[in-house]
Amino acid sequence: MNQFTFAARQKTVLIGFMVLGLLCLGITFMTDDQFHTRFWTNYLHNSVFFTGIAFMALFIISAFTTAWGGWFVNMKRVWEAFSSFMIPGLLLMLLVVIGLWGHFHHLYHWSDADEVAKDSIMAGKAGFLNKNWYTFGTIIIMGIWIFFYQRIRTLSLAEDREGKGIADGYRHHKLIRIWTAAFLPIAGFSSAAIIWQWVMSLDAHWYSTLFAWYTGASWFVAAMALTIMLLIYLKGQGYFQSLTADHFHDLGKFLFGFSIFWTYLWFSQFMLIWYANVGEETVYFQERMQNYPVLFYANLALNFILPFFLLMRNDNKRKYGPMFMASLFVFFGHWLDFFLMIKPGARHTAMEAMHHADGAHAGEAAHHAVEFAMGFTIPGLLEIGTMLGFLAGFLYVVLNTLTKAPLSPANDPYIGEATHHHVWPYID
Amino acid sequence: MSASVSPIRNPLVTGNKSYHDITEDICSPTERTPTPAWVLTFILAVAGLALYVFCVGWTIYVGIGSWNLNRTIGWGWDITNFVWWVGIGHAGTLISAILLLFRQKWRTGVNRAAEAMTIFAVMCAGQFPLIHMGRLWLGFFIFPYPNTRGPLWVNFNSPLLWDVFAITTYFTVSLLFWYTGLVPDFATVRDRAKGVRRRLYNFLSFGWTGSAKHWQRWESLSLILAGLATPLVLSVHTIVSFDFATSVIPGWHTTIFPPYFVAGAIFSGFAMVQTLMLITRKVLNLQDYITLEHIESMNKVILATGTIVGVAYLTELFIAWYSGYIYEQFAFYNRVLGPYYWSYIGMMSCNVLSPQIFWWRKLRRNVMVTFVMSIFVNIGMWFERFVIIATTLARDYLPSSWSYYTPTWVEIGLFIGTLGLFGTLFMLFTRLAPVVAIAEIKSILKDGGDQYVGPEVARKKAAETTEAH
Repeated sequence: MNQFTFAARQKTVLIGFMVLGLLCLGITFMTDDQFHTRFWTNYLHNSVFFTGIAFMALFIISAFTTAWGGWFVNMKRVWEAFSSFMIPGLLLMLLVVIGLWGHFHHLYHWSDADEVAKDSIMAGKAGFLNKNWYTFGTIIIMGIWIFFYQRIRTLSLAEDREGKGIADGYRHHKLIRIWTAAFLPIAGFSSAAIIWQWVMSLDAHWYSTLFAWYTGASWFVAAMALTIMLLIYLKGQGYFQSLTADHFHDLGKFLFGFSIFWTYLWFSQFMLIWYANVGEETVYFQERMQNYPVLFYANLALNFILPFFLLMRNDNKRKYGPMFMASLFVFFGHWLDFFLMIKPGARHTAMEAMHHADGAHAGEAAHHAVEFAMGFTIPGLLEIGTMLGFLAGFLYVVLNTLTKAPLSPANDPYIGEATHHHVWPYID
Repeated sequence: MSASVSPIRNPLVTGNKSYHDITEDICSPTERTPTPAWVLTFILAVAGLALYVFCVGWTIYVGIGSWNLNRTIGWGWDITNFVWWVGIGHAGTLISAILLLFRQKWRTGVNRAAEAMTIFAVMCAGQFPLIHMGRLWLGFFIFPYPNTRGPLWVNFNSPLLWDVFAITTYFTVSLLFWYTGLVPDFATVRDRAKGVRRRLYNFLSFGWTGSAKHWQRWESLSLILAGLATPLVLSVHTIVSFDFATSVIPGWHTTIFPPYFVAGAIFSGFAMVQTLMLITRKVLNLQDYITLEHIESMNKVILATGTIVGVAYLTELFIAWYSGYIYEQFAFYNRVLGPYYWSYIGMMSCNVLSPQIFWWRKLRRNVMVTFVMSIFVNIGMWFERFVIIATTLARDYLPSSWSYYTPTWVEIGLFIGTLGLFGTLFMLFTRLAPVVAIAEIKSILKDGGDQYVGPEVARKKAAETTEAH
């Protein structure tokens, strides 16, 4: 089965989950505080998370292609399909932008002109943290990403139709190689800029040079985990029969290796800030360790300890059960990681804004800021429902893109290597 | 028999080699009398080593006062050299371990020499903290063991001590990894040797017979050591970066330091491999094993890591502004426009701008350009450490204690001297051991030999099939 058909039942299930997601967002909106903080943080959280996964898929294709990787090409359609979510991702982020201009939300402390006027630190950052940059950064950077996606995807499909292999010197592939190589430095610079805007500026006073790489690694691992789960499902449906245990083994190595890499970055950031003990920096972790202890430690348990032990053994990487389990933990774990990056700062901003809105209850608001709150200090059912809705939307786009091309890129120069891929010492 | 190889991959072994040719080509440099070029280079290297010994002697006899360090700038050329050498010591294990894990076949041409380079570079790096102590004979104080020195006990909270453990562990694993690879090759040399040489290589090869069981264990051990070495490669330079980043000095205390130091180390390590291999392949006539394909691959890594380092430099600059923290802002202002502006220019132009020429395939495959670039990168990476260390220290919190630092002849002599030490060891290595891993080259011959794979072969095959139809 080289052609994917999007079954009616799959569509129904996914639409069902999307409706659930919308319902959860609706309920959150209705039952929220006056700034709809829970609604907007949930919305931002999932938009950033899934858009980032789509971006990372394109980054993965680019990195592997530039490194002359051969083993992955019979699954590259899945990553192409992942990246197609950048277009809806841009629309999702545009709603945050509209909210910024229309003052529909209080996600970003720096978007409040009165606050910035009183605050010398934020005033100093106003050259970067302002609505114009946020808007144009989002549109231009994501526009560039989408442009590269379109180029690479178009060439990849053209190769399928018109490629003549060695006779035309793998013309299409060579062009893809140029586009993917050019994308790498662009992705490196632009992802950092956009992560500072979307995520780091939620804690407007705080800064860390490592933050962009840390967030990028989180996206990368989440993208790998989702790839593994989707491929296991699709293989179970009879697609991608050329993918063997050897391919999953290598995907498992990436999941394992980059989980450790993510932990390395987590540790580097945390340890250096903890060690130097500078108040302006430690406040970030102080807030999270004091008010979000469960998530803070769960983050490490799910994203490091579990995949580390589950994926350590070679044969576990070759079995669907352990691989699916590990991917599930890690995927949810990185979703929590983003929860932890986004909620505390945004909540703090909202609390201060409320404090100003009704000065009489200032003490009360400040009190609430450190108290346990469903949806803030821990994800509630509404957050889970919202996440499932976004995930269903993501998968809907991905599966829909998959229908548009043969699953196996027949004229790719590496298709032979990918079909006969073996991981030493397994020769089954 | 060979695995499927894509027709667009270029061959990694050229010259239509047979297994026997490989043995002949790689073993023979250890069997011939040294060429005049080798003797001349060796004399030069030993002269450098002599300079080193002299300068160390001078430092110990006169004291650290013979260096130009002062109370503001407590680290100068010494620690710059230390970090520079440790950085160079990275590519060896990276090529071997990480590229082995990634199954990159081109590693086989350069892994042996790169690993040797690692070991020698780490040895050079290790000199500097020791001589910096001034009282070299008390160097053993760095080891924590039960003693009668009372409160004179190592400080486990200090990254300087972590360095001791990180670097010794790294050195040990790298040495084991290197030696494991050498065992089958020493056996090959042994089988061809006579007399004392035969006895020597017999001892060095641990009684290797080449049985299936030996190979199986050898493969497993290589993989395990590669798995251990990979986190070690990262840990060593991470901890070196902690030497700076755990402090509260603006310009040093920044969270991006660990991964960016690692990227920079890989960058400079590959540059050093290029410098050495471009000469070695020519002198020992190994162009068929270290092909333009290998050189191009390494240039790509240099371009990639150089750009990563560039992202990090700009991130640091940007976040310094973004932080709103005036001391941080000043540290970076001073870095770019302060009295040491020239070293910042040197760093930026050599590390970030100049590698960008490798976007052009023609230049990636040009041996002369590659050689010049590899020297550039080495200079640039030396400047990077100088920028981080001296520039930052020269302008500290108290303007009254601001200072400027230029090295004395002793410090310069020590640096040139370590180049001599490094050169001596490397020259000896090229005489005593096969500089290219014989067994590993043989393992890729069927997937990488130019008589089996490559666009030419593919085109010929395609033509044959069309004819048959």
